Amino acid sequence: MFILRSIFVEPWPFWAGGIVIGLLVPLLYYYFNTALGVSTGYGNLVKIFLPAKNLQWIKTKYAETFSWRVYFIIGIILGGLLSSILSGNLGITTEMGRFTAIAGWPGILNAVFFFVGGILLGLGSRIAGGCTSGHSIHGIANLHISSILVTIFFIIGGIVAANIVRSLFLGGAW
Amino acid sequence: MNKKLGFLVFGVLFGFALSRVGASEYDLIVGMFIGQDYTLVGVMVTAIIVGALGMQVIKKFAEPVKSGEPLRISYKELKKWSIPGGLIFGLGWGISGACPGTVLAQIGEGKLFGLFTFAGMICGTYIYARLKENNTEL
Repeated sequence: MFILRSIFVEPWPFWAGGIVIGLLVPLLYYYFNTALGVSTGYGNLVKIFLPAKNLQWIKTKYAETFSWRVYFIIGIILGGLLSSILSGNLGITTEMGRFTAIAGWPGILNAVFFFVGGILLGLGSRIAGGCTSGHSIHGIANLHISSILVTIFFIIGGIVAANIVRSLFLGGAW
Repeated sequence: MNKKLGFLVFGVLFGFALSRVGASEYDLIVGMFIGQDYTLVGVMVTAIIVGALGMQVIKKFAEPVKSGEPLRISYKELKKWSIPGGLIFGLGWGISGACPGTVLAQIGEGKLFGLFTFAGMICGTYIYARLKENNTEL
């Protein structure tokens, strides 16, 4: 019972998550000859949610609207849902860690803040050709130099942005 | 295994793992960038090592892969704009405290503002599609 509780109810130690996530790389190749990656699937979502059917890139790259990438995205959402159900933390929350706790902004400004962050993530991952899963985990696990380089710049961008946000909006606290 | 069903199942596993190690927590992602909490560095380094070992196992013992095809590893070429793109992505990572996978786990957990990061990502991808109409180098 202790084992079941550790797997399904308690938070995991970092290495347990690392092992499961790392195993996805060879497993997805073995079963589907496909690289681990999430951000490319956002192009499918553009086709689903926005009027973009006439854009050449969407037309050629996303011929099948509801491809496996959409199912992967839905699966990740369900995984998060399952995790909060089993740990007993289910419920909608407007908290976002220390940001909402310290900045104390009205909800609409918080929404704009995270929306802007999302635009940079979406635009940046397409220009860079991948995200944390495709480049940083899949690419580096395959020793791809391009992925190592791009990941270095992911991290530089993250350090710059997080420290600016911390001094401007979080009063340097934390 | 049906590919769509398979990815749904692997997606659940991925989202569950991300959520369980706290990768969907703003504090852990931003905490890593301001040097306060290195949990997620541990997760990523472990994942990279396990992934690299697993790929060697596949190459030695499981090629051709299940469908009978030779293993086709996808290589993401370094293009003219890859590095600036990486910087733009990094800025978004540090602002939102999320990445394209972890934001999905946030939504599943019921984090309302994750939906705005998610909507921004769809719009950012749309902006890319518009820019690409006139710039084939992107």
